[in-house]
Amino acid sequence: MLSIIKEKVFANERLTREEGLWLLKNGSLLDLAEMAEHVRYRHNPQAKVTFVIDSNPNYTNVCNIDCIFCAFYRHEGDADAYTYTVDQMIERFKAAEKRGVRTVLLQGGVNPAIPLEYYTELVRRTRAEVPGIHPHFFSTSEIIGMCEVSGLSLPEVLAKLKEAGLNSIPGGGAEVLSDKVKKKISSKKGTSADWLNVMREAHKLGYKTTATMMYGHLETDEDVVEHFDVIRDLQDEYHGFTAFIPWSFKPGNTPLEKIIPSYASSTRYLEMIAFSRIYLDNFQHIQASWFSEGKKTGQMALHFGADDFGGTLEEENVHASANFVHTTTIKEMVDLIRDAGFTPAERTTLYDIVGEYAEGQYPDCVLDTARLDVHINADVIMPTIPAGMQN
Amino acid sequence: MLSSKLLRFRDPQLAAIWEKVRHGERLSKDDGLALYATHDVIGLGRMANEVSRAKSGDSVYFVLNQKFEPTNICVLSCKFCDFAVKKGAPEAYEQSIEEMLSMLNPNIREVHITMGLHPDWEWQYYVDMVRRIKENFPLIDVKAFTAVEIDFFAKKFKKTHEEVLSELKAVGLKTMPGGGAEVFSERVRKLIFNQKIGAKTWFEVHRKAHRLGIQSNVTMLYGHVETIEERIEHMMKVRDVQDETGGFLTFIPLAFQPGDTGIKTRNNFTSAIDDLKTIAISRLMLDNVPHIKAYWVMLTAEVAAVALNFGADDMDGTVGYERIAHDAGATSPMQLQKEKIISIIHEAGKIPVERDVWYNPLHIYTAEGTTVVSKMPYLNSVPFYAEFEPSSGDVKVAPLVPHVFGEFAKEGKVDAGPMSLMDYAEQQDEFDMLDYGVAVNGKAYSVLLYSHYEWSKLSGKRIGITGETSTSVNLLRVLLEKKYGVKDVKFERLHLTSSQNDYTHFDAVLLIGDEALRRHKLGGLGTFLNVYDLAEEWHAWKKMPFVFAVWAVRKTVAGDHREAIVEALEHSLAFTKGKEVELGRDHAKRLGMTREELGTYISAFTYTLGSAEKEAIDTFLGEVYNIVTM
Ligand code: SF4
Ligand code: SF4
Repeated sequence: MLSIIKEKVFANERLTREEGLWLLKNGSLLDLAEMAEHVRYRHNPQAKVTFVIDSNPNYTNVCNIDCIFCAFYRHEGDADAYTYTVDQMIERFKAAEKRGVRTVLLQGGVNPAIPLEYYTELVRRTRAEVPGIHPHFFSTSEIIGMCEVSGLSLPEVLAKLKEAGLNSIPGGGAEVLSDKVKKKISSKKGTSADWLNVMREAHKLGYKTTATMMYGHLETDEDVVEHFDVIRDLQDEYHGFTAFIPWSFKPGNTPLEKIIPSYASSTRYLEMIAFSRIYLDNFQHIQASWFSEGKKTGQMALHFGADDFGGTLEEENVHASANFVHTTTIKEMVDLIRDAGFTPAERTTLYDIVGEYAEGQYPDCVLDTARLDVHINADVIMPTIPAGMQN
Repeated sequence: MLSSKLLRFRDPQLAAIWEKVRHGERLSKDDGLALYATHDVIGLGRMANEVSRAKSGDSVYFVLNQKFEPTNICVLSCKFCDFAVKKGAPEAYEQSIEEMLSMLNPNIREVHITMGLHPDWEWQYYVDMVRRIKENFPLIDVKAFTAVEIDFFAKKFKKTHEEVLSELKAVGLKTMPGGGAEVFSERVRKLIFNQKIGAKTWFEVHRKAHRLGIQSNVTMLYGHVETIEERIEHMMKVRDVQDETGGFLTFIPLAFQPGDTGIKTRNNFTSAIDDLKTIAISRLMLDNVPHIKAYWVMLTAEVAAVALNFGADDMDGTVGYERIAHDAGATSPMQLQKEKIISIIHEAGKIPVERDVWYNPLHIYTAEGTTVVSKMPYLNSVPFYAEFEPSSGDVKVAPLVPHVFGEFAKEGKVDAGPMSLMDYAEQQDEFDMLDYGVAVNGKAYSVLLYSHYEWSKLSGKRIGITGETSTSVNLLRVLLEKKYGVKDVKFERLHLTSSQNDYTHFDAVLLIGDEALRRHKLGGLGTFLNVYDLAEEWHAWKKMPFVFAVWAVRKTVAGDHREAIVEALEHSLAFTKGKEVELGRDHAKRLGMTREELGTYISAFTYTLGSAEKEAIDTFLGEVYNIVTM
């Protein structure tokens, strides 16, 4: 079976679901890597790795969904619950713009007290008042929340946001697109059909989005392949996904922690990166996350099929709340890419290259905006963060 | 030849290097440099992983150990060291032997001791430290003192290195850690290690230790001011000394962490790619060093996990200090640490094997759904494994000497392989026998009794018997009692690690496998005059072949796994037919055998069991039960 699969991959043919499942179950780490590298260089022939200078603030932590992997949300009335006004958010965006940030990845809880106008206003004013910032706003759960609050249909809400100036949305909240799994970890968050539905409608309207997967909790290999299968099919329809981003669940201060005592190692993560690269033959970009997996794992992923290093996440309240230790400076991030043997290239949210940086060169922005200078944890117990809120 | 596999590379230079590696050729300095320069990290990893699998199968070793640094007071002040302080400094500490004993966790198997060079401690203090640990914890082996410390003791106490080492050995020192090696380059030494002993003294000490039967490790501290060329030269120096002594167990690349040393590196840690490359290149350059360690404490767990597929076959197991280790019920930090290490190894697709200081397996932790096949690590087993590549990713291979295989099989942890005939006889209800095994019809060359006496005079004598298998031991008993009528022999099991055996205690010694071949090539064993080939003795007596091992598969092994095993085995046997000499060449070279000797040796064996072999099995077992019930 392995030789059949290899032949197909090297002949640039698509793997079937059965082949995918066999490979995920039986393929060794390096067999996967060998094939993934082939596909990576087919889509992106140069030894270049892209990154985006972005910021990841939150406008509210009030949420009525109660996902059991989430350490971030609060209920209305909790002492540390917050919701920022549009003015407050615009101020923050302006400050970020000054520091050289190009993209704001904005997400929040699903807060039923916020009207649709808040969201459209936020997009419109960002475009008008902070032109240097690309708005990459709102997860599928929030968009479904907007439909409920406004009574409008999904296409109507998406059209209103688009009209306000939004043209890309983050792909978080997919977790594992298998209803069996979703029911266990986020019972109120809707079915996998809901996530796909928002994505499909968005792609139809010309939005670009990312696709994600959070694994390492209750899913089986079958569930994982099902997840890849549905997003590969959707990609065939509209080609609206820019990149695929897997990350592992890290039991932090979450209820899910009690069910999952330990979690996936770097090996499993690299297998997921490589497998996604092989199986998702219609995705141009696979994103490695130094942020959720650790800097060294992020570097390794670049040789296992990933061609993008994600965002600098210049500010992130969500994770700061959970003793988060993976922080970096923009300078360090550029060096990490370089030390892994690649040319660092800065990009936009939509993957247009803005600049490439030779040895000794760095982006023209505030380079060390990092907050804590904690370097990578050498302990065998890896740091814990909630993963539910990433792009 | 190591492998017939043709690998695919993105970097064509690697293809040429792989040709050398798979034919068992040594890599040159230029090869090493090309490996460091490559962007084809995965191709590099695949080569290293193949080499590692040829040596260690899918096993990854760990040891439960505890580290002691009894004092941080040091007469030197090496630039890169942020550990040592001067006497009287506020952070200075000194531990008493009692303190160390009270902190030792009785469940570990190895204690690792290194420390600052203390200005006042007496020689007796170091000797007592080793002696009292050994007296109080006979199961814990002491790995202690780097070459820097040994050299310091010699100078301070006016002894030779040999005297220092043999006095420590006499009270229980088993192995030495590989620290203090840094980078074997005078340039680098002058820059940052100028107070330390250089390569010459470091190797002097280790050479002497190896000659005294104290095996050791060797480290390389990288990622500071050294050049890539200096790293390769470091590895080549180790390789040369290993050719001479064979005493190094493990090579340990250590990623430099600047900490408070003031030495500047770009990101305050080495790049993960540099780490993986260094592990893989060590594995490829050091063809004569048995193990490469991914020391997770310095490498980080995330890189160490991946390094297990890049040539590393050891994960250390440091459990640190544990003052409250004695309440048996609670899940101790050590238990958690061990579970974490086991799960990292499982996820890497490997088999966790808990070991002692010499890498003898103590426990194996088979993952659910995995079938483990034992690999007999002897020269005569080459045809079974040269091309043994089961099609299922869940069938794994672990090198185990027959006796250990038998024990692990009883525990239900290992499920297939060429089983020592006696172990099979004991477990035949659980195992099916395949039509393959290891048999000879005449001389076996590698089952030898070295004796001061002729057969008939062995009555009442002490015989040291191999711990590796019980079949040969039973053959010896049958020959003694039934063929020669000799009774009242005292048998004593030998240590599994040959450097730990003192054969002069015995009137005769039974050796098997590679150890027997190696000794034979070295011109015999000590002053033993008589050498008897047990298979030849059996053949002359019974006019029958002798069967040492039979391939057995546990009855409960899943159908597809069993099929994968049989298929892989048949493929390997068919593939190796006629190529045994070429395939066994590297292995034979390690034992000092020529091509011709290898040819004679291998052709003595039969790997398919026909009716003559099966009859011989029944005859032999009949004789064994006969003496047991007599
Ligand atoms: S993951 Fe998002 S939807 Fe789920 S509880 Fe957290 S904030 Fe709410
Ligand atoms: S000899 Fe060892 S302990 Fe002493 S200063 Fe040098 S490195 Fe540090």
